[in-house]
Amino acid sequence: MSIQEQYKKRVREILSSGAVKMVIGYQAGTTADRRRPLFIRTPEEAEKLVLDSACIANLSGYLVTEGLLSDEKSVGIFLRPDGIRSINILAAEAQLNPEQVVILGFDGNEKEVTALQGEKAKDFTAIIASIKEHAPSAPRNPQLEQIEKMSPKERFEFWQAEFSRCIKCYACRQACPMCYCRRCIVDSNQPQWVNTSSHTLGNLEWNVVRAFHLSGRCVGCGNCDRACPVNIPLRLINAKMAGEVLGAFDHFAGMSETQEPVLASFKKDDSETFIL
Amino acid sequence: MTRILLSDKLDNCVARWRKAGLTVIGPVKKETSSSYAAVEKAADFDFGIVLPDCSIKGLFFPQTEPMTGYTIKKQDIVTNDFAPPAEKRIIFGARPCDASGLAIDDPLFGWDYKDDFWFQRRNETVIVTIACTKADNFCMCTSLKLAPDSTKGSDVLLRPLQNNKGWLVEELTDRGREAFKEIADLLQDGSEQAAPLAVVPEKFNLDACVAWLKNPENFDSTFWKEISMRCIGCGSCTFLCPTCHCFDFQDEGDTYSGIRRKNWDSCSFSLFTMHTSGHNPRSTQSARWRQRIMHKFNYFPGKFSVNSCSGCGRCTRQCPVDMGITETLQAISTLKP
Repeated sequence: MSIQEQYKKRVREILSSGAVKMVIGYQAGTTADRRRPLFIRTPEEAEKLVLDSACIANLSGYLVTEGLLSDEKSVGIFLRPDGIRSINILAAEAQLNPEQVVILGFDGNEKEVTALQGEKAKDFTAIIASIKEHAPSAPRNPQLEQIEKMSPKERFEFWQAEFSRCIKCYACRQACPMCYCRRCIVDSNQPQWVNTSSHTLGNLEWNVVRAFHLSGRCVGCGNCDRACPVNIPLRLINAKMAGEVLGAFDHFAGMSETQEPVLASFKKDDSETFIL
Repeated sequence: MTRILLSDKLDNCVARWRKAGLTVIGPVKKETSSSYAAVEKAADFDFGIVLPDCSIKGLFFPQTEPMTGYTIKKQDIVTNDFAPPAEKRIIFGARPCDASGLAIDDPLFGWDYKDDFWFQRRNETVIVTIACTKADNFCMCTSLKLAPDSTKGSDVLLRPLQNNKGWLVEELTDRGREAFKEIADLLQDGSEQAAPLAVVPEKFNLDACVAWLKNPENFDSTFWKEISMRCIGCGSCTFLCPTCHCFDFQDEGDTYSGIRRKNWDSCSFSLFTMHTSGHNPRSTQSARWRQRIMHKFNYFPGKFSVNSCSGCGRCTRQCPVDMGITETLQAISTLKP
């Protein structure tokens, strides 16, 4: 039985038994290489499910939809390891109860996907730990290395040119599982903290604000990068910040449901005097 | 006999127009992105792009634009109104859907108040459209009763030649004729055939959709919630859309000096309809998506007798969750009115 058929069976089972009230997965999209999010509420609807290498989007952001988990019932969700890390962060940041999340885990490459054993986020701790272990030696994005070699002026010009295309549609924010604020700082208008205008300064402000808010929280799922309608390489910024946080604090986002947020925690024995 | 513009003369045309003081704009590809951008020579154009990432709209209605400014001095307050920049332009290689989008928005911007920013740019810009010989899976102009060679909103229509060496020239307006006078000696007579137009299959029955949308009972249909469940509430579809035109005023500055700007806004955002009291009449994403569809195919045509969609397909093409007008109207086509 293919992994897709195995998982269809599993989805029918957990829906029929009442273990979950809904399963969030993937279905066919407009073109052969596209997949769309799918919300399955009855065993029959599981027939629409697609699970293959084109299922890339991190669906975890749907779990924090207002009211979805407030009835304390469980929801099933298809996640790759990066998505499972997102669940850990959302749990650590008190956005959801991980006990309500039934994970249908999978992983794979551009050609095929394989099933991951486990049900709750904590069942995947070993897998995530092994990803962290390999993170420092993982092949780096060649474009990122190129940017690191630039002088500060060249780098600024590079990002200035990239951000000049930004239209502030906030697709990056909306696609990001970590951007769950009911009211984003840029939407707070009394006072208006951040310019809403999509001019050079406004675009720079927005993208820098987002980069900082995601430092130590981004799992590198690439949702923002793929969502950007004008193809700004947002993934590079987040990858750079994740690398910095890993190097400076040995912090790898989404290791467990109890991991302390790196920029919202401190150690009494920190060598920096400004901490305490 | 028809007039023909050969591709190898285009460089001369660009130089001629630039010399005449026109900014020449066209489809340009840059690594991973494409846009309508200013060019200096013919080699800068890329006519192979099916559609640039963003529509032509931003060249007439920029994403942010200063309207008025103020400075408070010891004795007095100085205000200054910004005028739209006086710049003569020629857009060479617009797509018919993008040009149509401008014509669709003209009545809106001239309705109860004549928007000088829009109309000055409209009057000073010549739009040379190239008929499409290539389409992708998202193109849907024919479903909107337009076509890969629609002339709506264009000053000149070019049809690519079968031999790929140039274009047949159809001058449509005085503005177009005026601009092509500048290059009259670079055109030639010819009897070459135009290349076949792109085949864009009709994806939904527009009349059936409009009938369903006009039935007030369907306003509260559960359909809206079902179809928009995966909408993440970004503004990508509205900002890329050639006809979406909503904007917001924003003041930037401090007590002593500042600028009032007109910025794009989107009905997809929850803040769009948020009242000062905290009440939001469109409190759910499904209500917002319904508004977008209703506005385009019910309210806008009710007022201006034209649908607010030219079928470019960007809403689906660039949607992070593969939603869009096509899927929604396809689904509506199958419902009972």
